Amino acid sequence: MPSIDSKDVKKIVVACDAGMGSSVMLASQLRKALSGLSIEVKHTPVNAIPADADIVVCHAGLAARAKATAPDKVLVPFQVFIGDPAVTRLIATMKNGGTVDA
Amino acid sequence: MPDTAPLPLDPRAVRLRAEAGSRDDAIRQCGQALLAVGAVDESYIDTMIDRERSISTYVGEGVAIPHGTLAGKDAVHHDAISVLRFPAGVDWDGFPVTLCIGIAARGDGHVRLLSELAQILLDPERAEALREADDVGLVVRLLQPETGQDAEPPEGGPSTREETPE
Repeated sequence: MPSIDSKDVKKIVVACDAGMGSSVMLASQLRKALSGLSIEVKHTPVNAIPADADIVVCHAGLAARAKATAPDKVLVPFQVFIGDPAVTRLIATMKNGGTVDA
Repeated sequence: MPDTAPLPLDPRAVRLRAEAGSRDDAIRQCGQALLAVGAVDESYIDTMIDRERSISTYVGEGVAIPHGTLAGKDAVHHDAISVLRFPAGVDWDGFPVTLCIGIAARGDGHVRLLSELAQILLDPERAEALREADDVGLVVRLLQPETGQDAEPPEGGPSTREETPE
């Protein structure tokens, strides 16, 4: 199971089907929450996850597709767009240090 | 083909007293509003329904953001946002939805507006203000504050206060 230490995270990708709606909103929240850390946050379609992504955040319903596209990435699935505990935890780990695993 | 519109929210795509009998009806109306401002082909609307069936676009606080699938992007002419308010509510797979933000995007013209929406939804008071806004100018100002502050209405003055023309 892939895992990564917070200090090695350079790029977080928020993926959804079209990269048009929900991923855009969540990416903007993450970008705000992580501003000040040198972590790039991008939003992309789930079938176009860039190779240099360190962590992939996507809706639980898309997790299987994300895993198929990017099997070696740490995957953080979420259920709700506002205040999902998985996303809150990810933000805390990035800020305070620690390990993120799939 | 027109470039990415600098202001994706065209006041003509804002309908604040809409009614829908079902979730799919609401989504189709959001799509029709995008069609009406020339942002999409009609075929895009079916992909909005497809997308909703795979994963709900309900984002919380009584707000949904219906949009098409990746395949549907080909039917998008320019980035655009429609805003439909359903004061009586729509049953969205068990969640009551009063506000739908319809999205058509092929570029990033809508990103700022969605960022603003995310910030609003994180604050229950601002979310309530958005849900209850029944004036087109107010909705535009809430979602695109940078345009509202300058208050320089575009040609024809569509950002001034006026009733939805229908």
